[in-house]
Amino acid sequence: MLFRQDPAASHVFAFFRPKCFDKTSKYMSETFKLPPLAIEEYTLANGLRVVLNADNSIPVVSIAVYYNVGSRNEREGRTGFAHLFEHMMFQGSENVPKAGHFQHIMKAGGTMNGTTSSERTNYYETLPANQLPLALWLESDRMRSLAVTQENLDNQREAVKEEKRLRYDNQPYGQIFDLINEMIYKNFANSHSTIGSMEHLDDATVEDVQEFFRIYYAPNNAVLTLSGAFDKQTTKELIETYFGDIASQPLPPALDVSEPTEVAATYKEWEDKLAPFPAFLIGWKIPPRRSPEFNALYLAGKVLYDGDSSRLYQKLVKGEESVIQLFGFTDERRGPSSIFVGAIPKPEKDLSKIRETIMNEIHDLAAHGPTCEEMEKIENQLINDSVRMRQSSMSRAQQIAEFALYDGDPTLVNTDLDELLAVTAEQIRHAVGVYLNTDNRALLDVVPAGKGAAA
Amino acid sequence: MTPELRKSAPAPLAPVSFDIPQPIQATLDNGLRVVIFENERLPLVSFRLAFQSGDTNDPKDSTGLTSAVAAMLVEGTEDYTSLQLAEKIERLGSTISASASDDFTIISASALSLYSSEILHLLAEVVLRPTFPESELDLYRRNTVEHLKFQRSQPGFLAGEQAARLIYGKHPYAKVSPKAEDIEKLDRETLKNFHAETFIPNNAMFIVVGDVKRDEFLVELNELFGDWQQGSVAETDFAEPPVRNSRSLTIVDRPDSAQSNIVISNLGVKRTDPDYFPLIVMNQVLGAGASSRVFMNLREEKGYTYGAYTRLETKKLTGEFEATAEVRTAVTGDSLKEFFYELDRIRKDKVGDQELADAKNFLTGVFPLRAETQEGLTNLIVNQHLYGLPEDYLQTYRENVDAVTVDEVQRVAVRHVRPDEMAIVIVGDANEVLPQAKEYAASVEIFDTDGNRKET
Repeated sequence: MLFRQDPAASHVFAFFRPKCFDKTSKYMSETFKLPPLAIEEYTLANGLRVVLNADNSIPVVSIAVYYNVGSRNEREGRTGFAHLFEHMMFQGSENVPKAGHFQHIMKAGGTMNGTTSSERTNYYETLPANQLPLALWLESDRMRSLAVTQENLDNQREAVKEEKRLRYDNQPYGQIFDLINEMIYKNFANSHSTIGSMEHLDDATVEDVQEFFRIYYAPNNAVLTLSGAFDKQTTKELIETYFGDIASQPLPPALDVSEPTEVAATYKEWEDKLAPFPAFLIGWKIPPRRSPEFNALYLAGKVLYDGDSSRLYQKLVKGEESVIQLFGFTDERRGPSSIFVGAIPKPEKDLSKIRETIMNEIHDLAAHGPTCEEMEKIENQLINDSVRMRQSSMSRAQQIAEFALYDGDPTLVNTDLDELLAVTAEQIRHAVGVYLNTDNRALLDVVPAGKGAAA
Repeated sequence: MTPELRKSAPAPLAPVSFDIPQPIQATLDNGLRVVIFENERLPLVSFRLAFQSGDTNDPKDSTGLTSAVAAMLVEGTEDYTSLQLAEKIERLGSTISASASDDFTIISASALSLYSSEILHLLAEVVLRPTFPESELDLYRRNTVEHLKFQRSQPGFLAGEQAARLIYGKHPYAKVSPKAEDIEKLDRETLKNFHAETFIPNNAMFIVVGDVKRDEFLVELNELFGDWQQGSVAETDFAEPPVRNSRSLTIVDRPDSAQSNIVISNLGVKRTDPDYFPLIVMNQVLGAGASSRVFMNLREEKGYTYGAYTRLETKKLTGEFEATAEVRTAVTGDSLKEFFYELDRIRKDKVGDQELADAKNFLTGVFPLRAETQEGLTNLIVNQHLYGLPEDYLQTYRENVDAVTVDEVQRVAVRHVRPDEMAIVIVGDANEVLPQAKEYAASVEIFDTDGNRKET
């Protein structure tokens, strides 16, 4: 760098980006600083990590409990179990009857849900601010004393099977992401689906549920995050009252999610009885979330497939006019992660030609990197996304909880944007060259095979 | 904490009040109504330019025209090509989107408030000076025809299409989607003329929420939209929805289905119906959420489904009441039995005081949650103004919910939930569905997924 005009400012944005000639933006990152979220973090004696983000702008509070268990922790023969277990967390505990959780939250004017991914299982509520004690009572009661009966397990097994049918089995293309993960990943922990198989769901027993609860649902395997309108002193006392005497447990067994780097050029054809058109999906294995390479590839994805001005939209939807729908995304994991590009081509279009266009664009990005204009777009989109995330107490609570659980540092919520803004065009070019511009990828072709499919 | 203290739910803390202030309203000389809600909490701004006409206002021989005009606004203007527009908008990290619903056409833009002026200029450009380039229109036609085929693979679309046909008959709400031949005949002249006639300031409303200064904003808005010429708002004359006298069963035969998608519906009411508040409370008890009766019955007790709900669709002119679930094929008939049990019960028996209080507490309690994001707050304000709800609608919403009584819930259930004339639509495997479902209806018809009637 030739010279430094303002040392204080460059401390905040320690990078330099050349200006584009046709200047439309105001170079936000040099003039715009988001006020940091107030974060307080501490640990109860039983090992429960607590993160508080007090923000009184709207009289609403969100509570998120993240357990460090996801489908990656499932054993063979029990795929889908972490998610089935999530359903059981709504089936009652010592002082809360079956489905009482829904009812308590809703009659207090709140919303709630739980979700399961490969990485974690989360449970969350948003409530009018004065109902905070209710949420802490409900979350602590099930962390302390989940009640499991055969009848409730059978009932939720059926609900989960209908969820699987609704979201995967009865949807055209509904199973393709689970299929390609099996092609990309070699380690069972990474490769199997979160929804699991019907047979494994059938095999799950009450004893399995009790054992899973004991191993993974201990306070020292969880993070409790609060965001929104609350008084910190009162809240800390309430948290101690409700969660302080829940017994800790030995930590769960260590998990190996390591992967060989190779995917090689794997190919699979999938006959989809519900799909009206052919489609394809390409997937690459990439380094873990928040690694410099992952960040660079996440931004490369924005250049390739995000929005109407993205390269592949302009080449394929416009340009060649060969696809009906184009999509792409990154799957963030703590271990090896992945990035996907997929398309539903128009009838009669040559799929290999479309894939060639995609690979040519990747090749170009690997050779020349993003343009100055593309970097400016990325910068503004990142800042925009970051401001929007801060609007809702629930999105703040979830982001903070992820950083606390995955990285052991909830304050990353305040520096994550700077990390992404610091990624250079050269780093994007290089990462695309190493990870995407290669035959080391999985390709899944979807072939319509139903009675309704055109011959 | 002692086991004794844990036994019952804790009392809430002292309530915190939440008030939505009244926005500022103005009207430009050309009749464009403006609603400004200043909110500096975050450096964001949301714009909505909304027209009081939607898909129902398509000319009789041009189904799909309003949606086509909306979609084409961002595909080329006097100053910019489609690509230039996309680049300009996205380079600001912003979005502009335009779409038509049954009753309205809304152009939405949101941005960091630093780019408020830039995005407002682009919004004016796409609304006032679109050119509908021939090549882009051609692409739109061809892509839309493919999308129309694609949506026929989705069971939810097929169910909604049949339900709308049965409930609305010759009323335009019956059309949930144009046909390929409608799209193929859309031409540039028609779009241009329709845009000139319909996208007029005296048929529109400009709503802004966020980090803006009202005086500066009004000056800028007047510079950009002040010369926009008024026009005459077209009169509409729609057929009445049919009167239904018996319960019917319509099956869409979708081979290889893993489930049955069930929709049971009857004609409902418009958004401004005086029964609106008792209706939403009744619907909350019956089926709006995870603690409502049909969910507790069909999912939590029976395990038939991942989710069972009831829903009120209240549009500008009329609406519908519907009950929906996706169930495993083998319990299609059992699910109908439980649905009709609950639909009869809400009419026959008064709801309990506690059940009523719980439903009302939910509706009043989630109200501030819905206003937490700028997007959520904007939607509340947009709906209030587009449907012409009272000026103090958002301020009195919670009082109105609280005022609903047990007797009113029963009265509106009897009036608006009418099992004897409901249309049952089931998308699934007809061979398995028919024997289970036919006893629940007086008549049966079967369609294929292309919408053609099959032999029963």
